[in-house]
Amino acid sequence: MNYPVWDVAFGAGLLIALVAILHVFVSHFAVGGGLFLVVTEHRARRKNDAALLGWLKKHTRFFVLVTVVFGAISGVGIWFTIALISPTATSNLIHAYVWGWAIEWVFFFLEITAALLYLYGWDKLEPRLHLWYGWIYFGAAYLSLVIINGIIAFMLTSGSWTKNHEFWKGFFNPTYFPSLAFRTAIALALAGIYALITASVEKDAGLKARIVRWCAWWIVPSLAVLPPLGWWYIRRIPADVWASARGPMPTATHYAGFAVVLLAVTFVLALLSLLKPGRMHLSFSLLVALVALGAMGSFEFVREAIRKPFVISNYLYANSLYSTQIPGDGGFSVDEVNAAGVLPSAKWASNRDLAGSNLAGVGHEIFRVECESCHTANAYRGLKHYIALRQWDESKIQAMAGGLEFMHNGVMPPFAGTDAERGVLAVYLNTIEPISAEAAVAATDGQTVFDQNCSMCHRVNASDPLFKNLTSDPAAAGEALKDLTALFPLMPDLKLTGPQRTALAEWINAQRSAKGFGNPAQGGK
Amino acid sequence: MMQSNPIPALDPNPLPAPYWVFKLLLIVTFVLHIVAMNFLLGGGVLALTAKWRAKNGGFGGRLFSDVAKKMPVLLPATITLGIAPLLFVQVLYGQFFYTSSIVMAWPWFLVLAMLTAAYYGFYYVSFRSGQHGGKAGGVMLVSVILVFLIGFLFSNNLTLSQTPARWATKYFADPGGWNLNLTEPALIPRFLHFFTAAVAVGGIFLVFVALANWKRDREYARQVLQFGGKAFMYATMAQFVVGLVFLVSLPRGLRMLFMGDSPLAATLLLVGITGGIAAIFVMSGALRNENIRAAALYAPGVLAVTIACMAVMRDLLRDAYLSPYFHAGQFAVATQWSVLPLFLALFVAGVILWLVMMRRYGLLGGKKEIERPQP
Repeated sequence: MNYPVWDVAFGAGLLIALVAILHVFVSHFAVGGGLFLVVTEHRARRKNDAALLGWLKKHTRFFVLVTVVFGAISGVGIWFTIALISPTATSNLIHAYVWGWAIEWVFFFLEITAALLYLYGWDKLEPRLHLWYGWIYFGAAYLSLVIINGIIAFMLTSGSWTKNHEFWKGFFNPTYFPSLAFRTAIALALAGIYALITASVEKDAGLKARIVRWCAWWIVPSLAVLPPLGWWYIRRIPADVWASARGPMPTATHYAGFAVVLLAVTFVLALLSLLKPGRMHLSFSLLVALVALGAMGSFEFVREAIRKPFVISNYLYANSLYSTQIPGDGGFSVDEVNAAGVLPSAKWASNRDLAGSNLAGVGHEIFRVECESCHTANAYRGLKHYIALRQWDESKIQAMAGGLEFMHNGVMPPFAGTDAERGVLAVYLNTIEPISAEAAVAATDGQTVFDQNCSMCHRVNASDPLFKNLTSDPAAAGEALKDLTALFPLMPDLKLTGPQRTALAEWINAQRSAKGFGNPAQGGK
Repeated sequence: MMQSNPIPALDPNPLPAPYWVFKLLLIVTFVLHIVAMNFLLGGGVLALTAKWRAKNGGFGGRLFSDVAKKMPVLLPATITLGIAPLLFVQVLYGQFFYTSSIVMAWPWFLVLAMLTAAYYGFYYVSFRSGQHGGKAGGVMLVSVILVFLIGFLFSNNLTLSQTPARWATKYFADPGGWNLNLTEPALIPRFLHFFTAAVAVGGIFLVFVALANWKRDREYARQVLQFGGKAFMYATMAQFVVGLVFLVSLPRGLRMLFMGDSPLAATLLLVGITGGIAAIFVMSGALRNENIRAAALYAPGVLAVTIACMAVMRDLLRDAYLSPYFHAGQFAVATQWSVLPLFLALFVAGVILWLVMMRRYGLLGGKKEIERPQP
């Protein structure tokens, strides 16, 4: 709300994901592929393999066209995109880490120069000198990963930086080394995966088979070390953060599953390429690359998803509000916005009249400044879909919006603003998917009542407070569910009907016996 | 209805070095970027002109192919040298630059797509430069037009970033970001001022091409020298008119800075103009005597003074535009002594390594080390 919000109809989050995933898929190739070029050139020269050198020269051109052109532009593209979508986070990162980026730029400059000289030097330079450029390229490319990895890992695990704001404390944060190792392995695997593409169009079957086998040496071991490295990585992520990917948060959980499956498929495909390496078709190599892109994209999705609700962990929420009040925050912490209100705080709102006739319009302004960094009305992470699924009417939306920070393992920041503002946000959301008060309480089977009203925060397991503590006597439970805030003060004040409460209590009992949760402790409440 | 002050608040982090350090880096890297961009855009425009002026033979076709081969290097040079000022402008002017970018978000985002298309176009042309006919001319034209349009979008964004009073109306008219800054009276003159400069400096680039061929093929080099040198002279002469229009298009208060209200700005303008005139005379003499040394060394040397003056003037103008909202003293400063020396050391080492790389390749006056054709 300090900056205007770019209203991307199909979803700002989707745009940033698109640019970022395509970029990392190429930029990791730019790192691993550099080592591949020099090591393969050494090997070909040692074995006097002219055919392999000939292929490598063509592969260099492909490498430059992919990395120096698309990799470099999409890298700038991430700059452009994050500045458009998360200007507050970008501004914070720039001021905290500009010297990191300046150092990366030095490496980038060397990297681009060395890549071009290596490409143009194929026909001009004496082999040793040509290799010298190749090694400089790889060194510079790897060092740029060493730098940027610090900043990306910092966003996920800011470590002690939030307390001391020291450059190196944030840089060498808890996930720095596992992330670097993990990304190094990805880079090496991608070197082989991309090389399969240029190998597949090679006409000489013998040569093709040699290259494919050589590529497998890059892909297979690198992929094989990813699971242990991933385990190390996960262990360094705070357990409550990683918990999001283990069920409570759908995005993180689904993509964590995709990442594992697609990684396994990539591994199997790489092994299959060894069956008839001399006859590998272009379409097969593209399939391997596509699956690898899916695996890598899923990994990045998980990383970004579990980082939520933050964009910089324990510091700045995805919607550009600071999680705690700090000097110089400009009044944009959650507490300050709660006290002052969203509408008076937001610099960019055209309609602030809470007493006027266009409440939906005012609610739309609040939606834009607080929610649109991740949500749309009816496209990517569209509220229309969620509301229809759960049949929330205006009052239920207002009640639920009071506890956003408890939903799905705390994936969302809390709603910041006054109760009246939360009310007009509900008015607006009710216009994008109008649900009547009757429809909101129409469901009478226990499962649906649970799904619509409880499942955002409660999970079906023995340790969940709902299953652990609610009394097993249906009549008493139905009575207890009448006043949720009395059960627990942070619960939303939902008004379920008598039949709904009974159905819910019975369904909870049925789950307990079906899944063997045992009886509620001390008779429950 | 907007809040009275539309300027976004700074973030809580202090500047990690004194203000002047970033200002200096911003201006120096901007000059490098703009020179590379001028070689790219001006060189591209002149190569196309040469090709079409000499449809039936002549040096135009060869010059076109010579320049075309350089484009895939000039574009990454422009981008790489552009990343640094993009970084430093965000350090100092993020509040303004982010906001204007968001107001014109889609056109700004499309710069990426246009850049990618232009880049692959240049590669296409360079890989086909040895072949006759084909679509090289057309593809080159499209790529050059894309670069031209990207420049226009940069002019839109940077003028918009300096005029916060315009933001709200545009933003609320379309929060989806389909905006430009076409109502800005100084937009077109400013853009033409930069474009004309690009053609002039592109002429200097051709003089360098002539220099590279001076010993190998004197006749061709002479023709390129004449063509590039004249392009430089005519464009610089045109600049006196375009620059004047730009000056007149500025708001009166800002224009007067260069007319004497600010002694520094007025001096820079005077030195800049003098440098431009001097460069024309040096070039004119060099063309008359076919003195490649004067054309490729003295004229660019004099011109460098003008470019430096213009870059500082551009910065003064930005600060003057932003004076109601921005002042250097607004920043808290806490120099990151644990990192800054590392950057400086790596920067110096990087520059040295870069020079060694260029010289070992036989560029920048170096002698190419033992050549051996490879299989």
